[in-house]
Amino acid sequence: MRNHRPLLAPAILSVALLQTLPTGARAGDSEFHSLVERMSDYYQKGPVRHMGWLNFFANPFTAGGVSHFQMAIFDDVDASRTHAGEDLESSLASLVGPPYQPFVSVHDARSGEWTCIYTRESGNERTEMLIISIDSSDAVLMQMQLKPEAMRKWVEDPLERSRDARRGAQDAQRGQP
Amino acid sequence: MNARNKKIRSGALAAFFVAMLLGTLSMPAFGQNPRLDIKNLEALSKKASEVVDVNLDGSLLKLASKFMTDEDDREALGIIKNLKGVYVKSFTFEKPDDYSPADVEAIRSQLQAPAWSRIVSARSKHEGENAEIYLMTAPDGGSVLGMAIICAEPTELTVVNIVGPVDINKLSQLEGKMGIPRLGEQTDESPQKPEGHRAKP
Repeated sequence: MRNHRPLLAPAILSVALLQTLPTGARAGDSEFHSLVERMSDYYQKGPVRHMGWLNFFANPFTAGGVSHFQMAIFDDVDASRTHAGEDLESSLASLVGPPYQPFVSVHDARSGEWTCIYTRESGNERTEMLIISIDSSDAVLMQMQLKPEAMRKWVEDPLERSRDARRGAQDAQRGQP
Repeated sequence: MNARNKKIRSGALAAFFVAMLLGTLSMPAFGQNPRLDIKNLEALSKKASEVVDVNLDGSLLKLASKFMTDEDDREALGIIKNLKGVYVKSFTFEKPDDYSPADVEAIRSQLQAPAWSRIVSARSKHEGENAEIYLMTAPDGGSVLGMAIICAEPTELTVVNIVGPVDINKLSQLEGKMGIPRLGEQTDESPQKPEGHRAKP
Protein backbone atom coordinates (compact mmCIF):
# COMPACT_ATOMS: atom_id res chain seq x y z
CA MET A 1 0.00 0.00 0.00
CA ARG A 2 1.30 3.48 -0.99
CA ASN A 3 1.76 6.11 1.68
CA HIS A 4 -0.34 9.25 0.85
CA ARG A 5 0.67 11.16 4.00
CA PRO A 6 3.37 13.36 2.40
CA LEU A 7 0.79 14.66 -0.12
CA LEU A 8 -1.99 15.13 2.41
CA ALA A 9 -0.47 18.07 4.33
CA PRO A 10 0.09 20.36 1.31
CA ALA A 11 -3.36 19.46 -0.03
CA ILE A 12 -5.04 20.43 3.25
CA LEU A 13 -2.98 23.64 3.37
CA SER A 14 -4.02 24.51 -0.20
CA VAL A 15 -7.69 23.93 0.52
CA ALA A 16 -7.43 25.99 3.73
CA LEU A 17 -5.78 28.84 1.81
CA LEU A 18 -8.46 28.75 -0.88
CA GLN A 19 -11.14 28.92 1.80
CA THR A 20 -9.69 32.19 3.12
CA LEU A 21 -10.15 33.84 -0.27
CA PRO A 22 -13.65 35.20 -0.86
CA THR A 23 -15.37 33.28 -3.64
CA GLY A 24 -16.73 36.49 -5.16
CA ALA A 25 -13.23 37.80 -5.63
CA ARG A 26 -12.24 34.74 -7.64
CA ALA A 27 -15.32 35.02 -9.83
CA GLY A 28 -14.90 38.78 -10.30
CA ASP A 29 -11.19 38.59 -11.07
CA SER A 30 -11.58 37.66 -14.73
CA GLU A 31 -14.18 40.37 -15.24
CA PHE A 32 -11.95 43.01 -13.69
CA HIS A 33 -9.05 41.84 -15.83
CA SER A 34 -11.22 42.14 -18.92
CA LEU A 35 -12.07 45.73 -17.90
CA VAL A 36 -8.36 46.44 -17.41
CA GLU A 37 -7.71 45.01 -20.87
CA ARG A 38 -10.36 47.27 -22.36
CA MET A 39 -8.78 50.26 -20.60
CA SER A 40 -5.35 49.13 -21.89
CA ASP A 41 -6.75 49.03 -25.43
CA TYR A 42 -8.31 52.47 -24.93
CA TYR A 43 -5.05 54.01 -23.71
CA GLN A 44 -2.85 51.70 -25.79
CA LYS A 45 -0.70 50.91 -22.77
CA GLY A 46 -0.78 48.50 -19.86
CA PRO A 47 -1.40 49.27 -16.18
CA VAL A 48 1.33 49.76 -13.59
CA ARG A 49 2.76 46.37 -12.69
CA HIS A 50 2.72 44.69 -9.28
CA MET A 51 -0.69 46.11 -8.37
CA GLY A 52 -1.90 42.51 -8.24
CA TRP A 53 -0.12 42.00 -4.92
CA LEU A 54 -1.95 44.93 -3.37
CA ASN A 55 -5.24 43.57 -4.68
CA PHE A 56 -4.38 40.10 -3.38
CA PHE A 57 -3.72 41.38 0.14
CA ALA A 58 -6.65 43.82 0.16
CA ASN A 59 -9.17 41.28 -1.09
CA PRO A 60 -9.85 39.17 2.01
CA PHE A 61 -10.41 42.19 4.22
CA THR A 62 -13.71 43.93 4.62
CA ALA A 63 -13.38 47.43 5.99
CA GLY A 64 -16.41 49.68 6.39
CA GLY A 65 -18.61 47.31 4.42
CA VAL A 66 -16.26 47.32 1.42
CA SER A 67 -14.74 44.11 0.11
CA HIS A 68 -13.33 42.50 -3.04
CA PHE A 69 -11.33 45.62 -3.74
CA GLN A 70 -9.31 45.67 -6.96
CA MET A 71 -7.36 48.49 -8.53
CA ALA A 72 -5.40 49.23 -11.67
CA ILE A 73 -3.39 52.37 -12.34
CA PHE A 74 -2.48 53.62 -15.78
CA ASP A 75 0.22 56.29 -15.51
CA ASP A 76 1.49 58.72 -18.13
CA VAL A 77 -1.53 58.13 -20.32
CA ASP A 78 -2.00 60.09 -23.52
CA ALA A 79 -4.01 63.05 -22.19
CA SER A 80 -5.05 64.14 -25.67
CA ARG A 81 -6.68 60.74 -26.09
CA THR A 82 -8.59 61.16 -22.83
CA HIS A 83 -9.97 64.52 -23.79
CA ALA A 84 -10.31 63.85 -27.50
CA GLY A 85 -13.93 62.77 -27.24
CA GLU A 86 -16.54 65.47 -26.73
CA ASP A 87 -18.37 63.21 -24.34
CA LEU A 88 -15.95 61.29 -22.17
CA GLU A 89 -18.76 59.87 -20.09
CA SER A 90 -20.35 58.10 -23.03
CA SER A 91 -16.95 56.72 -24.06
CA LEU A 92 -16.47 55.37 -20.55
CA ALA A 93 -20.00 53.99 -20.42
CA SER A 94 -19.39 51.96 -23.57
CA LEU A 95 -16.06 50.82 -22.15
CA VAL A 96 -17.65 49.71 -18.90
CA GLY A 97 -20.60 47.94 -20.49
CA PRO A 98 -24.36 47.94 -19.98
CA PRO A 99 -24.70 46.01 -16.68
CA TYR A 100 -23.24 48.99 -14.87
CA GLN A 101 -25.45 52.02 -14.37
CA PRO A 102 -24.00 55.53 -14.02
CA PHE A 103 -24.25 56.62 -10.39
CA VAL A 104 -22.14 59.73 -9.87
CA SER A 105 -19.88 61.71 -12.14
CA VAL A 106 -17.76 64.67 -11.13
CA HIS A 107 -15.82 66.79 -13.58
CA ASP A 108 -13.42 69.38 -12.22
CA ALA A 109 -12.55 71.70 -15.10
CA ARG A 110 -9.74 73.42 -13.13
CA SER A 111 -7.75 70.24 -12.53
CA GLY A 112 -9.12 68.41 -15.56
CA GLU A 113 -10.17 65.50 -13.36
CA TRP A 114 -13.05 63.21 -14.18
CA THR A 115 -14.45 60.75 -11.69
CA CYS A 116 -17.15 58.44 -12.99
CA ILE A 117 -18.78 55.96 -10.65
CA TYR A 118 -20.93 53.07 -11.86
CA THR A 119 -22.90 50.52 -9.87
CA ARG A 120 -24.71 47.26 -10.42
CA GLU A 121 -26.38 44.70 -8.20
CA SER A 122 -24.17 41.74 -7.46
CA GLY A 123 -26.54 39.48 -5.50
CA ASN A 124 -26.96 38.98 -1.75
CA GLU A 125 -28.08 42.62 -1.52
CA ARG A 126 -24.57 43.76 -2.36
CA THR A 127 -23.65 46.38 -4.87
CA GLU A 128 -20.64 46.26 -7.11
CA MET A 129 -19.06 49.64 -7.67
CA LEU A 130 -16.67 50.69 -10.36
CA ILE A 131 -14.77 53.95 -10.00
CA ILE A 132 -12.84 55.45 -12.89
CA SER A 133 -10.78 58.50 -12.04
CA ILE A 134 -8.92 60.24 -14.82
CA ASP A 135 -6.75 63.33 -14.79
CA SER A 136 -4.44 64.89 -17.33
CA SER A 137 -1.81 62.16 -17.00
CA ASP A 138 -3.17 59.19 -15.04
CA ALA A 139 -6.19 56.93 -14.92
CA VAL A 140 -7.24 54.78 -11.98
CA LEU A 141 -9.76 51.95 -12.17
CA MET A 142 -11.19 50.61 -8.92
CA GLN A 143 -13.74 47.88 -8.41
CA MET A 144 -15.25 46.87 -5.08
CA GLN A 145 -18.25 45.27 -3.49
CA LEU A 146 -20.32 47.23 -1.01
CA LYS A 147 -22.49 45.83 1.72
CA PRO A 148 -25.87 47.58 2.00
CA GLU A 149 -24.80 49.66 4.99
CA ALA A 150 -21.84 50.99 2.98
CA MET A 151 -24.05 51.63 -0.04
CA ARG A 152 -26.48 53.49 2.19
CA LYS A 153 -23.71 55.95 3.08
CA TRP A 154 -23.10 56.50 -0.64
CA VAL A 155 -26.80 57.08 -1.27
CA GLU A 156 -27.06 59.51 1.65
CA ASP A 157 -24.14 61.65 0.58
CA PRO A 158 -22.98 60.73 -2.93
CA LEU A 159 -21.07 63.99 -3.38
CA GLU A 160 -18.90 63.65 -0.30
CA ARG A 161 -18.30 59.94 -0.93
CA SER A 162 -17.26 60.60 -4.53
CA ARG A 163 -14.86 63.30 -3.31
CA ASP A 164 -13.42 60.71 -0.89
CA ALA A 165 -13.06 58.30 -3.80
CA ARG A 166 -11.23 60.96 -5.82
CA ARG A 167 -8.88 61.61 -2.92
CA GLY A 168 -8.33 57.84 -2.62
CA ALA A 169 -7.49 57.61 -6.33
CA GLN A 170 -5.08 60.56 -6.01
CA ASP A 171 -3.38 58.91 -3.01
CA ALA A 172 -3.09 55.68 -4.96
CA GLN A 173 -1.46 57.53 -7.85
CA ARG A 174 1.01 59.25 -5.53
CA GLY A 175 1.78 56.08 -3.58
CA GLN A 176 2.37 53.88 -6.59
CA PRO A 177 5.76 52.18 -6.82
CA MET B 1 -80.51 66.34 -51.53
CA ASN B 2 -77.07 65.29 -52.68
CA ALA B 3 -75.71 68.79 -52.16
CA ARG B 4 -77.17 68.86 -48.63
CA ASN B 5 -75.67 65.48 -47.82
CA LYS B 6 -72.31 66.64 -49.11
CA LYS B 7 -72.52 69.73 -46.89
CA ILE B 8 -73.35 67.63 -43.83
CA ARG B 9 -70.59 65.17 -44.65
CA SER B 10 -67.96 67.86 -45.14
CA GLY B 11 -69.12 69.60 -41.94
CA ALA B 12 -68.78 66.35 -39.98
CA LEU B 13 -65.36 65.74 -41.52
CA ALA B 14 -64.21 69.25 -40.56
CA ALA B 15 -65.50 68.76 -37.01
CA PHE B 16 -63.68 65.43 -36.83
CA PHE B 17 -60.39 67.01 -37.95
CA VAL B 18 -60.80 69.89 -35.48
CA ALA B 19 -61.42 67.36 -32.70
CA MET B 20 -58.35 65.38 -33.79
CA LEU B 21 -56.23 68.55 -33.86
CA LEU B 22 -57.41 69.59 -30.39
CA GLY B 23 -56.72 66.09 -29.14
CA THR B 24 -53.18 66.19 -30.54
CA LEU B 25 -52.54 69.61 -29.03
CA SER B 26 -53.64 68.47 -25.61
CA MET B 27 -51.48 65.30 -25.76
CA PRO B 28 -48.23 66.86 -24.47
CA ALA B 29 -49.98 67.93 -21.29
CA PHE B 30 -50.86 64.37 -20.45
CA GLY B 31 -47.68 63.00 -21.99
CA GLN B 32 -45.40 65.13 -19.77
CA ASN B 33 -42.81 63.09 -17.95
CA PRO B 34 -41.87 63.40 -14.28
CA ARG B 35 -38.31 62.52 -15.36
CA LEU B 36 -36.76 65.68 -16.74
CA ASP B 37 -34.28 65.77 -19.56
CA ILE B 38 -31.38 67.20 -17.57
CA LYS B 39 -29.05 66.63 -20.52
CA ASN B 40 -30.54 69.86 -21.87
CA LEU B 41 -28.13 71.65 -19.55
CA GLU B 42 -25.01 70.18 -21.19
CA ALA B 43 -24.12 73.56 -22.69
CA LEU B 44 -23.50 74.83 -19.15
CA SER B 45 -20.87 72.13 -18.57
CA LYS B 46 -18.42 74.07 -20.71
CA LYS B 47 -18.83 77.20 -18.58
CA ALA B 48 -18.70 75.46 -15.19
CA SER B 49 -15.62 74.82 -13.10
CA GLU B 50 -17.20 71.70 -11.58
CA VAL B 51 -20.06 69.55 -12.78
CA VAL B 52 -21.63 66.86 -10.63
CA ASP B 53 -24.20 64.32 -11.77
CA VAL B 54 -25.99 62.02 -9.36
CA ASN B 55 -28.28 59.24 -10.62
CA LEU B 56 -30.10 57.28 -7.95
CA ASP B 57 -32.49 54.87 -9.55
CA GLY B 58 -35.27 52.99 -7.79
CA SER B 59 -33.30 49.80 -7.15
CA LEU B 60 -30.46 51.68 -5.43
CA LEU B 61 -32.93 53.63 -3.32
CA LYS B 62 -34.75 50.45 -2.31
CA LEU B 63 -31.50 48.77 -1.37
CA ALA B 64 -30.35 51.70 0.75
CA SER B 65 -33.76 52.12 2.39
CA LYS B 66 -33.63 48.55 3.75
CA PHE B 67 -30.92 49.63 6.11
CA MET B 68 -32.35 52.93 7.26
CA THR B 69 -33.23 51.63 10.67
CA ASP B 70 -32.21 54.61 12.84
CA GLU B 71 -34.95 56.58 14.56
CA ASP B 72 -33.77 59.75 12.73
CA ASP B 73 -34.15 58.04 9.36
CA ARG B 74 -37.76 56.94 9.82
CA GLU B 75 -39.37 59.89 8.03
CA ALA B 76 -36.80 59.90 5.21
CA LEU B 77 -37.29 56.15 4.81
CA GLY B 78 -41.04 56.67 4.37
CA ILE B 79 -40.30 58.93 1.40
CA ILE B 80 -37.36 57.12 -0.18
CA LYS B 81 -38.86 53.64 -0.32
CA ASN B 82 -41.59 54.76 -2.74
CA LEU B 83 -39.41 56.83 -5.03
CA LYS B 84 -38.52 55.73 -8.55
CA GLY B 85 -35.43 57.87 -8.79
CA VAL B 86 -33.54 60.94 -7.65
CA TYR B 87 -31.42 62.80 -10.21
CA VAL B 88 -29.22 65.75 -9.37
CA LYS B 89 -27.15 67.94 -11.66
CA SER B 90 -25.01 70.59 -10.04
CA PHE B 91 -22.76 73.21 -11.63
CA THR B 92 -20.19 75.36 -9.83
CA PHE B 93 -18.88 78.46 -11.56
CA GLU B 94 -15.79 80.57 -11.04
CA LYS B 95 -17.58 83.93 -11.28
CA PRO B 96 -21.17 85.04 -10.61
CA ASP B 97 -21.84 86.04 -14.21
CA ASP B 98 -20.60 82.79 -15.74
CA TYR B 99 -24.19 81.67 -16.26
CA SER B 100 -27.38 83.55 -16.92
CA PRO B 101 -31.00 82.91 -15.91
CA ALA B 102 -31.67 82.14 -19.58
CA ASP B 103 -29.47 79.06 -19.24
CA VAL B 104 -32.01 77.59 -16.84
CA GLU B 105 -34.80 77.97 -19.41
CA ALA B 106 -33.89 74.56 -20.87
CA ILE B 107 -35.25 73.07 -17.66
CA ARG B 108 -38.04 75.56 -16.97
CA SER B 109 -39.49 74.94 -20.43
CA GLN B 110 -40.12 71.34 -19.41
CA LEU B 111 -41.96 72.38 -16.26
CA GLN B 112 -45.12 73.58 -17.96
CA ALA B 113 -48.72 73.53 -16.85
CA PRO B 114 -51.03 71.68 -16.70
CA ALA B 115 -48.94 68.77 -15.41
CA TRP B 116 -46.31 70.83 -13.60
CA SER B 117 -47.02 73.64 -11.19
CA ARG B 118 -44.64 75.88 -9.32
CA ILE B 119 -45.49 75.65 -5.66
CA VAL B 120 -42.63 77.51 -4.01
CA SER B 121 -40.45 80.37 -5.12
CA ALA B 122 -37.91 81.56 -2.58
CA ARG B 123 -35.55 84.44 -3.16
CA SER B 124 -32.84 86.00 -1.08
CA LYS B 125 -31.95 89.47 -2.33
CA HIS B 126 -28.85 89.74 -0.15
CA GLU B 127 -27.33 86.42 -1.11
CA GLY B 128 -28.68 86.39 -4.64
CA GLU B 129 -30.12 82.94 -4.09
CA ASN B 130 -33.22 81.71 -5.78
CA ALA B 131 -35.04 78.42 -5.26
CA GLU B 132 -38.07 77.14 -7.11
CA ILE B 133 -39.99 73.97 -6.40
CA TYR B 134 -42.27 72.44 -9.01
CA LEU B 135 -44.67 69.58 -8.50
CA MET B 136 -46.09 67.23 -11.09
CA THR B 137 -49.43 65.73 -10.25
CA ALA B 138 -51.60 63.15 -12.00
CA PRO B 139 -54.33 64.62 -14.27
CA ASP B 140 -56.93 63.86 -11.58
CA GLY B 141 -54.84 65.88 -9.14
CA GLY B 142 -54.82 62.99 -6.71
CA SER B 143 -51.24 61.87 -6.64
CA VAL B 144 -47.84 63.48 -6.94
CA LEU B 145 -45.79 61.97 -9.76
CA GLY B 146 -42.62 63.96 -9.37
CA MET B 147 -40.86 67.06 -8.19
CA ALA B 148 -38.28 69.43 -9.59
CA ILE B 149 -36.13 71.84 -7.63
CA ILE B 150 -34.09 74.58 -9.24
CA CYS B 151 -31.65 76.11 -6.81
CA ALA B 152 -29.71 79.02 -8.30
CA GLU B 153 -26.94 80.80 -6.43
CA PRO B 154 -24.50 83.33 -7.93
CA THR B 155 -21.82 80.71 -8.52
CA GLU B 156 -23.81 77.50 -8.22
CA LEU B 157 -26.77 76.01 -10.01
CA THR B 158 -28.40 72.78 -8.88
CA VAL B 159 -31.31 70.99 -10.52
CA VAL B 160 -32.96 68.17 -8.59
CA ASN B 161 -35.51 65.84 -10.14
CA ILE B 162 -37.35 63.48 -7.82
CA VAL B 163 -39.45 60.88 -9.65
CA GLY B 164 -42.23 59.22 -7.69
CA PRO B 165 -44.66 60.19 -4.95
CA VAL B 166 -43.14 62.74 -2.61
CA ASP B 167 -44.83 64.76 0.09
CA ILE B 168 -43.80 68.42 -0.11
CA ASN B 169 -44.25 68.73 3.66
CA LYS B 170 -41.64 66.04 4.20
CA LEU B 171 -39.15 67.39 1.68
CA SER B 172 -37.04 68.81 4.51
CA GLN B 173 -36.22 65.20 5.49
CA LEU B 174 -34.34 64.79 2.22
CA GLU B 175 -32.49 68.11 2.34
CA GLY B 176 -28.75 67.61 2.54
CA LYS B 177 -29.13 63.99 1.47
CA MET B 178 -28.64 62.33 -1.93
CA GLY B 179 -27.12 65.54 -3.31
CA ILE B 180 -30.29 67.56 -2.61
CA PRO B 181 -29.30 71.04 -1.38
CA ARG B 182 -30.50 72.44 1.93
CA LEU B 183 -33.42 74.66 0.98
CA GLY B 184 -34.05 75.73 4.57
CA GLU B 185 -31.16 78.14 4.26
CA GLN B 186 -33.17 80.17 1.75
CA THR B 187 -35.16 83.14 2.99
CA ASP B 188 -38.31 85.02 1.93
CA GLU B 189 -40.14 81.81 1.18
CA SER B 190 -43.35 82.44 -0.67
CA PRO B 191 -45.48 79.38 -1.34
CA GLN B 192 -47.65 79.82 -4.39
CA LYS B 193 -50.87 78.32 -5.54
CA PRO B 194 -50.25 75.57 -8.06
CA GLU B 195 -50.90 76.89 -11.51
CA GLY B 196 -51.74 73.52 -13.08
CA HIS B 197 -53.33 70.51 -11.39
CA ARG B 198 -53.87 70.95 -7.70
CA ALA B 199 -52.57 68.23 -5.46
CA LYS B 200 -55.00 66.92 -2.88
CA PRO B 201 -53.76 67.64 0.64
